[in-house]
Amino acid sequence: MKIGSIAKVIFSAAATGALILGVGKFRTEAQQEQPARPAVAAPVTDCFESREGYTARSRVENVVPEYGYPNIICSQTTGGVLWWGDPYDETIPIGDMPDIDDVTKGDYLTEDAVIKPREPQLTYFNMDPDKHCVMCHDGMTVPFPKDKKPRLITMHQDIVEDSMELMHGEGAIWCLDCHNATNRNTLIDHRGKEISFNQPQKLCGKCHGVEYRHWRMGIHGKRIGSWNAGGKKRWWLCTECHNPHTVQINRFRPLKPEPAPVLPKGMKNAAHESVHAPSAGGHGEATPAATH
Amino acid sequence: MPAEEKSKMEEVKGTTISRRQFFKEAGAISAAVAAAAASSVIAPEEAEAKTTFAEFFQNNYRLMTDEEKKEAIARLEKRYSEEFAKKVTVDGAPAMQDVLFGYALNIQKCIGCRRCVHACVKENNQSRHDTEIQWIRVLRMEKGNFTVEDMDKGYPNSPNESFGIQVGGNAYKNAGVALEGQHYYQPERVPEKDAFYFPVQCMQCEKPPCVKVCPVRTTYRDPDGIVVIDYNWCIGCRMCMGACPYWARRFDWGDPHLPAEEMNPKTHYLGNRPRMRGVVEKCTFCLQRTRKGRYTACVEVCPVGARTFGNLLDPASEVRKILDRKKVFRLKADMNTYPKFFYFID
Ligand code: SF4
Ligand code: SF4
Repeated sequence: MKIGSIAKVIFSAAATGALILGVGKFRTEAQQEQPARPAVAAPVTDCFESREGYTARSRVENVVPEYGYPNIICSQTTGGVLWWGDPYDETIPIGDMPDIDDVTKGDYLTEDAVIKPREPQLTYFNMDPDKHCVMCHDGMTVPFPKDKKPRLITMHQDIVEDSMELMHGEGAIWCLDCHNATNRNTLIDHRGKEISFNQPQKLCGKCHGVEYRHWRMGIHGKRIGSWNAGGKKRWWLCTECHNPHTVQINRFRPLKPEPAPVLPKGMKNAAHESVHAPSAGGHGEATPAATH
Repeated sequence: MPAEEKSKMEEVKGTTISRRQFFKEAGAISAAVAAAAASSVIAPEEAEAKTTFAEFFQNNYRLMTDEEKKEAIARLEKRYSEEFAKKVTVDGAPAMQDVLFGYALNIQKCIGCRRCVHACVKENNQSRHDTEIQWIRVLRMEKGNFTVEDMDKGYPNSPNESFGIQVGGNAYKNAGVALEGQHYYQPERVPEKDAFYFPVQCMQCEKPPCVKVCPVRTTYRDPDGIVVIDYNWCIGCRMCMGACPYWARRFDWGDPHLPAEEMNPKTHYLGNRPRMRGVVEKCTFCLQRTRKGRYTACVEVCPVGARTFGNLLDPASEVRKILDRKKVFRLKADMNTYPKFFYFID
């Protein structure tokens, strides 16, 4: 009983410690760690899935006990998820999805398609306007905007950090074309129908029909889990890969790449392959080393 | 451990000897013994002591009876569990019925982040350093361009310019002398404006030249289309590496470096079990996962969903839908290898 509870304490301490280290190593480290955290750079324990700063993942201890290490492995150099143990962890059913057309009703049964819900990750979800907004807004609830004319929003860059870069639909679309002016907890389509943050595909698909169709068929976007048709899969939603605010600037926001492979023995650098020959005959001059 | 298994283990343990001893005690080496021993001729020192007599003499995996397979797997599980100080399982799952695995990769989407490379290393127990082994290589290709001014420049075949195949660029404006794309690119961020990326790994050819040349027939095509290797029978002659037109195979001249805490204990005999020194290895479409219904590690990790995997015999599978609807090509289709790895654009 006692040993069990001690083990539990050590284990939870280990949960905040090193990431990729195995369980065996955790124990010894956790014991040493108890008085003071080591000064070395803390290993990455939280990482992102596709979009940096969007879907954060925390390490989940031993969801798949056979592996003996965490459910996900984060890259120590870029902070991206590098490996999935349990693909369905923290997911919920995708919810109802209408048929697309007679030929393709989408792919899979609703209960076999799961998603990672967005709502629990939203910082400002379900805030009480009378309680929270007024804290900054001078004790007054801010009135709803009167029209939908696009304009840049300089305030609230703390909340929407790319609000000054906002660019979608060649500038013809702005916040309130997708966000609900009267209910900040939902999105809204052009017919005024409320859409949950957990189902952005219903909004995006209104304009991006081909992508939406292909996504329903499984030939656009990302899925993890079981490969067989009809098997259980976690579907990535539109906004898990694309930032709807800036998608026009970058389809995918550029990421830091994982480290390059090491050079073969004896090769000093990779200059031989970074030769550019913008004009005729240029390729010989660009590498002084390559004079034979 | 069940008693029955234990006694089997002890039997094996009793015969654990080093290779040197083995040769001494064996005295006159018959041809058969030589052939069997050849499979581990350059096994690493540490593993050498642990390699059992029985492992020396085991048959080519394909020729083993089910009983022999079970024994071989039990031997390995024991050896690995000791070596890596945790419970390691070695799976022997055969190919699934009515399944032919295929892969599709959207090169228009790939951003060159190399996450697939490192996911693969973690999943498949590759050597982490000295020698660093990676089964996937992402090549950076420069985008070519063409302007009216280039019209009169002609095909680059002047003495100044004749350097063979061009990558990126076009007949008028060559992008560089890199014949196979750039392997070691390391910009701050990817994707870069003037480049696209081209991941290469084993294509699981339907007519695999690597299989044709293997003198000991230790690499072969399984019925689900995966070209596998029985590492124990690999003599390290590297004929297959020369035969493969896609540079898909890797060879470790030294001892593999796989930290015990990073070792993936769910392994398959023909897949990601730890390799010894001096054998050839390559991508197996993660058969330890995919034969159990799970996507490969590279599919799951790709942040942009460029990678798709599935059953080519099932019209409802994602790969088949891609073949039906997208613009698809295969690398070096002229080599007559019939790869089951398809590249496509939207
Ligand atoms: S890509 Fe190379 S290693 Fe893979 S099956 Fe084809 S020839 Fe063999
Ligand atoms: S993980 Fe995906 S985007 Fe990144 S290099 Fe591999 S295929 Fe390309």
